[in-house]
Amino acid sequence: MTDSPTGGLSRRRFLAGSGSLGALALAGCVQNTRRDGDGSDSSGSDGGSGSDGSSGQVIIKGSSTVFPISDTMAEEFMSEHDGVNVTVDSTGSGGGFKNWFCPGDSDINGASRPITDGEIEQCSSNNVEPVEFEIAGDALTVAVNNDADWVDCLTFEELRQIWSEGGVTNWSDVRDEWPDMEIERYGPASTSGTFDYFNENVVGEDTKHTTEYQPTEEDETIVQGIRDNKGGMGYFGFAYYKSNSEAVKAVEIKNGDGGECTPPSLANAKDGSYPLARPLYIYVAESALQDESVYEFVKFYLEQAETDVVQEIGYVPSSPEQRDKNLEKLAEIAG
Amino acid sequence: MATREPETGWHGEQSDVNHLRGRAFEATCLALTAFGLVSVLLLLLFVAKDAFRPLSADTGWLATYAATVLVPLAALGVYYYRLDEPAGEVAYVTSGLPVVGLLLTGGFAVLFIELLSVLEWFALLISLAVAGGLIVAHGRLRSKAALERLAVMFLAPILTVFGLPPTEFNWFVTDAAAALGLDFGLYYRVISLREAIMLLPFVPTDWAMLLLTLVLPVAGAAGWFVGQRRDSRRDSLAVVGITTVFAVLGVVAGPLLGIGTDIWLLLITFAILPLGVYVEGVVRRGEGVRGLAFPVIAVLGVAVGSVVTGVLGFAGPESWLDWGFLTSATSRTAADAGIYPAMVGSVMMIIVIVLTTFPVGVGAAIYLEEYAPSTGLMGKFVTLIEINIGNLAGVPSVVYGLLGLALFIRILNWPQGSVIVAGLAVGLLILPIVIISAQEAIRSVPDSLRQASYGMGATRWQTIRQVVLPEAIPGILTGTILALGRAIGETAPLLMIGAAASVRLAPNSFFDVASMMPRQIFTWSSELDPAFRHGVLAAGVVTLLAVLLVMNATAIVIRNRYQRTG
Repeated sequence: MTDSPTGGLSRRRFLAGSGSLGALALAGCVQNTRRDGDGSDSSGSDGGSGSDGSSGQVIIKGSSTVFPISDTMAEEFMSEHDGVNVTVDSTGSGGGFKNWFCPGDSDINGASRPITDGEIEQCSSNNVEPVEFEIAGDALTVAVNNDADWVDCLTFEELRQIWSEGGVTNWSDVRDEWPDMEIERYGPASTSGTFDYFNENVVGEDTKHTTEYQPTEEDETIVQGIRDNKGGMGYFGFAYYKSNSEAVKAVEIKNGDGGECTPPSLANAKDGSYPLARPLYIYVAESALQDESVYEFVKFYLEQAETDVVQEIGYVPSSPEQRDKNLEKLAEIAG
Repeated sequence: MATREPETGWHGEQSDVNHLRGRAFEATCLALTAFGLVSVLLLLLFVAKDAFRPLSADTGWLATYAATVLVPLAALGVYYYRLDEPAGEVAYVTSGLPVVGLLLTGGFAVLFIELLSVLEWFALLISLAVAGGLIVAHGRLRSKAALERLAVMFLAPILTVFGLPPTEFNWFVTDAAAALGLDFGLYYRVISLREAIMLLPFVPTDWAMLLLTLVLPVAGAAGWFVGQRRDSRRDSLAVVGITTVFAVLGVVAGPLLGIGTDIWLLLITFAILPLGVYVEGVVRRGEGVRGLAFPVIAVLGVAVGSVVTGVLGFAGPESWLDWGFLTSATSRTAADAGIYPAMVGSVMMIIVIVLTTFPVGVGAAIYLEEYAPSTGLMGKFVTLIEINIGNLAGVPSVVYGLLGLALFIRILNWPQGSVIVAGLAVGLLILPIVIISAQEAIRSVPDSLRQASYGMGATRWQTIRQVVLPEAIPGILTGTILALGRAIGETAPLLMIGAAASVRLAPNSFFDVASMMPRQIFTWSSELDPAFRHGVLAAGVVTLLAVLLVMNATAIVIRNRYQRTG
């Protein structure tokens, strides 16, 4: 009998063991619900936004262009405030609004373009009131392969030709003296605010943005695509150019026939001479600002957005006036 | 009358025998195997090189360690392999045990830092022990009342761990207590033993609680094991006694050595105790004692190496994967970036998966194999279900992520990106795999065993519990752990359920927002700074691979263990 594989295991022990295991499993959960529920039993069930009073949590989604700024702010803020968990994600401006911010699942949405009417509508149907803060400036950079020595400067009209639907296919179609080589286009996906900005300001309303390109949510992929293809071309935020300035070549941009060729740089974006300079925003849910952690974080964010921290990442910091305006707005809404 | 022609030849006699095709096929297979293995090996070496950057060290540093550690160990290895194989096994186990022990120590240390306080652990274990005691006592007192015992088995743990939910009666009791000036602050319900312990004004110090609920039980188990093997009550008492003495000594001496008492107790329990028992056994048996030299020389070599490099001033490699990487959060600067919160997140996710998927999957497999009708209309229906489980195993992981998003976040309103949501979504993903592998394991139990069991008058439940499950358990565990290996590396569902790109705090509960290792690695792959993509990323991949290898090694050990005893 002792040879039997389970000679020592009785039904009693078996059930006791599995029962205890199950209890242990449940115990893990109960611990949490209690801790989660501490003092916020009423708000815990409705929003699901993670903005419950005691949890000390700030959830940021949205633009991949704003992501480096928000992530830096999160790290700095968390080193000063123990226990507040600021999580940052890069979903694209539109993706962030549509899937997370407006359904009430995130507190802050970074955006590289202003919020659209449709998005405001979606938000308000879920009782989410977005509050806009302009936090930095970016020089949207058009880049080509390092070996593409023929191109140094492009006009808006040429960019429009290249990036509109049914436009040119080869470099020689843009200017006759350029090589007969296919243009390999890399750009952000249509959920991206950078796409929206480019579509609206460069491609224009008359035509549509081409679909003949490699869309991606990761700016890194765009850089790689351009680097590896001689005929490659793409556009992204200046910060990504700044950290990859040896891998790709930035193209100067000329506005209209009268304008001058201006290289992308923070200085040129600041003084307005670079035609593709654009403001960056964060949108905060008004209800989330009632939460102390979110409020403190946003305040910190707006204050720090004026400092060199932003410049180091590769963006134009907001001006002191802009910062004061933002802080005033914040005080007004939260107060 | 037809006469049969005598068969003179054999089938295939007419065709030429040519070994060339067979040889060519064999060579092709060999080449394919070699290609696969070599490319995986190269990939691993490539990643490891990026993670550890051995070439960034001084030549002197490399030479020193090669002389003090690598050469002696290699020589020992050759010696074991050629002359003393039992010693080789001893060397293998004595080197492996401390590593596993340290990993377990680390795991429990993280558990106590992130998830439970020592007091919570203590209260939970005491409550479970009391529940177990109640069940045993009931079994002794009323051994015939099977149904009643079932109720006790479910109610006792619930009562001791959770207490009773709020009811009218409890409102009354609490109100009455409040009127008398007693405020428990306890939501108008009957509290459990666990909560009562946590409310005690005086509790034992942390080390005493750990000693009672962790060191002593483990030492007791080890003692029981030793006692069983040697048939000696004295030895088993000695194990418990010596462990306790060491533990208490460490508590007194630990602060002097700069080791926290909690860490010391964990070390005693998980690293020193198993190693001590094993080494003692080896010495007593006197077989393969030379194998003990291996870990000793390894430790000595590292010590000598560090002294020599320190004196001569050789700089070590600027490895990305170092202690700081394992213990800090991700950062904007590559040098400061670490994987700790993601690692905790991954481990907690695995806990959720184990606790949910394993019982559900194995239960389903048992039902489908042992109980489900196999004939008639219902049998067809069961076949349909089984086919669809197979199909579910092939559904892309993104789809499970979307399912998790819809079900847990949109409908149940659980926090997005939380451990529980991630665990359940990924758990659903591997559930079909668990069911199928468990089914295979159960199916491979020979029917003759079942028939023999029935023949001896056993019921179906007895047959399954005492014959089928013990035979099938190694297969079930192997399949499950391999499925867990897949689960820990899944990225797509995590993206779908909103696991954030950067999370800097490790989760403290299962409902906390968390990042997991593959998600964190994915974030690093798109960072601005190239140092992330080449260094930090590689370090993360090596960490993930190490966790995976530990899990797979566990699977193999468990399988071998059960096969040997079973």
